[in-house]
Amino acid sequence: MSEAPARVVFTSDFSDRYTGGVKEFEIEAKNLRGVIKALDELCPGLGEHLEEETTVAIDGEVQDVGYYQAIRPGCEIFFIPKIEGG
Amino acid sequence: MPDTITPGEKKLRVVGTRPVRPDGVPKVTGLARFGADYSLPGMLWGKILRSPHAHARIRSIDTSQALALPGVKAVMTAADLPEQKFEYVGPERTAANFWHMTRGIMAREKVLFEGHAVAAVAAISKMVADEALRLIKVDYEVLPHVIDVEQAMQPDAPLLFEDMITRGVEPAPDKPSNISKRIEFKIGDIEAGFAAADKIVENTYRTKPVHQGYIEPQACLARFDADGQAELWASSQGHFVIRALTSRLVGMEVGNLRVYPAEIGGGFGGKNVPYVEPVALVLSRKSGHPVKIVLSRDEVFRACGPAAGSVMTVKIGITKDGKIVAADGVFTFQAGAFPTSPVMNACMCGFTPYDIANVRSVGYDVVSNRPKTAAYRAPGSPISAYAVESTMDMAAASIGMDPLQFRLKNVAKPGTQTVWGPKHTHEGFAETIRALMQNPAYSTPLGKNQGRGVAVGYWFNNGGESSANVHVNEDGTVLVATGSSDLSGTRASMALMAAETLGIDYDKVRAIVADTGSIGFCGISAGSRTTFATGIAVVQACRKVIDELRARAAMIWDAKVEDVVWEDGCAKRAGKGPGEVETLPIKAIAAKRTVTGGPISAEVSVNAGGVAPGFAAEFCDVEVDPETGAVKVLRFVAAQDVGRAIHPALVEGQIQGGVAQGIGWALNEEYIYDDAGRLANPGFLDYRIPVASDLPKIEAVLVEVPNPNHPFGAKGVGEANIVPSLAAVSNAVSRAIGRRMTELPMSPPKVLRALDPQRGS
Repeated sequence: MSEAPARVVFTSDFSDRYTGGVKEFEIEAKNLRGVIKALDELCPGLGEHLEEETTVAIDGEVQDVGYYQAIRPGCEIFFIPKIEGG
Repeated sequence: MPDTITPGEKKLRVVGTRPVRPDGVPKVTGLARFGADYSLPGMLWGKILRSPHAHARIRSIDTSQALALPGVKAVMTAADLPEQKFEYVGPERTAANFWHMTRGIMAREKVLFEGHAVAAVAAISKMVADEALRLIKVDYEVLPHVIDVEQAMQPDAPLLFEDMITRGVEPAPDKPSNISKRIEFKIGDIEAGFAAADKIVENTYRTKPVHQGYIEPQACLARFDADGQAELWASSQGHFVIRALTSRLVGMEVGNLRVYPAEIGGGFGGKNVPYVEPVALVLSRKSGHPVKIVLSRDEVFRACGPAAGSVMTVKIGITKDGKIVAADGVFTFQAGAFPTSPVMNACMCGFTPYDIANVRSVGYDVVSNRPKTAAYRAPGSPISAYAVESTMDMAAASIGMDPLQFRLKNVAKPGTQTVWGPKHTHEGFAETIRALMQNPAYSTPLGKNQGRGVAVGYWFNNGGESSANVHVNEDGTVLVATGSSDLSGTRASMALMAAETLGIDYDKVRAIVADTGSIGFCGISAGSRTTFATGIAVVQACRKVIDELRARAAMIWDAKVEDVVWEDGCAKRAGKGPGEVETLPIKAIAAKRTVTGGPISAEVSVNAGGVAPGFAAEFCDVEVDPETGAVKVLRFVAAQDVGRAIHPALVEGQIQGGVAQGIGWALNEEYIYDDAGRLANPGFLDYRIPVASDLPKIEAVLVEVPNPNHPFGAKGVGEANIVPSLAAVSNAVSRAIGRRMTELPMSPPKVLRALDPQRGS
């Protein structure tokens, strides 16, 4: 039985730079490693940018991008600019 | 302090108390060692030659006379730093370009602002070094300059970089400009949103660059050994990041540089990046001596990044019952001489406190002939909040609604989508506004020429990489070492969390900041991350130590470890008689460490996620003198969702500090340039930060809505507090004088001009 894929969303800036303007993807994966790998296969080189430049919000919970982050079927994944402060 | 411990939750013993901080006594007795306090035998003094011009091409630099001066041991220019590839690397929001960064450390082809470093010397005394600087001959071709951000965007403006094409624009412009980048975030349909509005309010605002105002100027001591190993003693917000950036700029491997953290005399974002460290290292390498550099206040103002200035236009559409249906903001930030201001933060934070279906935030990053901007407490967010919250105030007033009630009606909650994509997941915004509304002072009557202003503000907070080591000493006391610079008393917070987890007294725990050679990587102390992320590492390390202590106790008792529990700082197991309990305190287990396996310690490194954002709501009362235009802040009440106050006194101090800086930003502080592009007020006499007599008592209201992703519920507390302050003061002044103020600082001439254009001119 196939599970609902995760919905992956990029900011406009990021999608303009790296995915030819495509902002949303549907990816089946058990963890963030699988998501990044699948996206890198769709857009070669994208994985490195995701790992170095973004933070991820999984169902709204902001996390650093880590391979080990679990992905729930049907969840929302937003790759957003990495945050640094003062 | 509000008691937000939920029913059934274990009562905390020491978290939430207010003990003396471990760095308190050395700081008040003058024994704490800051960046300038380190010395080594054979040490030289480094000094930096700076550009007198705002914009000029460097035709040549002749250092021969300086090098020939007796007592001078080394002279350096940009030629002594390796060239860097032109590429933007790292997070989009703060993308670093080392081609720019090395030119920021020392100018190459051009000087881009007055105070730009051009050359440096190392000599046996400060006096000889100063004399040597005078002997360096620089041949400049002076170029037209541009200071103001709006002028810098004009098509005929002098260009800082003749080949800079604006990023983020499709198709790419065919001509260069000073606009480094355009960014945009959008949700919903803003045209349809504004079409559905009963009222639309719009205004344009301007802010000036302001300095972080840290008391301690940048300072460091460097020693470069003949084998390529180097050591650096420096005051910074993150010695691991200073190590990474400095080693790259100097051209050495990270592993060959060890950085020791000095006490830091204020940072507020301004000490996230190196200024003097690469220069001192190169001078040490060239001279074969340790080299110390201590900047003057003048140099700090002229060369070490302020916060960005801005021009912003914000438009808000509301229904007649006070629901916001559309919002649009254009935020243009002055980046200084090199790209990358915090305009992305501004775009992301400005409207995020609110539940608005249709939002657009556009940002422009613009270079001009000023020092490169640096982070400043919630970088970007106070600036956009000033524009957004001023416009929110106008919107509330336009329908006669209480401004806090207006914000509460529209406040974001879990499930609300942000303009940058994800939905909010944490509570705390509405609770904070309600706490402010319930403050008795909010309903006190105002007098003549007085006004009350409110504002709210959002900051992301941050997690990330941290390491901690917990070691049980021979006598049962505990050492907690982390790699996080202590800006705000975080050693006390770490000690409290360790004591709570281990079940021992606070005064049995000593927390220190370890150097880059003694602990695993820690990110910078910025983004309000340290108590959250490094705190998680400390608690996890304590838990590992507890597991080890239970195992040691089991060995001493000839028992199974499963039969041993850890409570109140002791190993415990069931005794022989009914209801009897045997105990072994940590001190007794430590005494047996040798025969039970040796030292008892644990180190944990984490990449902490599950950050909960910071939210603040503030109001202030001001009185305006109609004769002079002077503004006196009569009262300031600041409510902030802090998650859990690990050390409430330190949290209150953070809130009071953020508000004090916000008041200065709102009323007094600005860089003033003359016609030649030279800074006219590079000192605290003329650049006026608030002093105690300028400030009222700042009442801090701690709202505690715990973050479930932290062992004690902590959220970051260092930054959200400054976000609303600028707008709160501006809204109060606007209400006091009955005219909307649209420019910071609201110095007396500007207030007078608002009251009467003739008098303020």
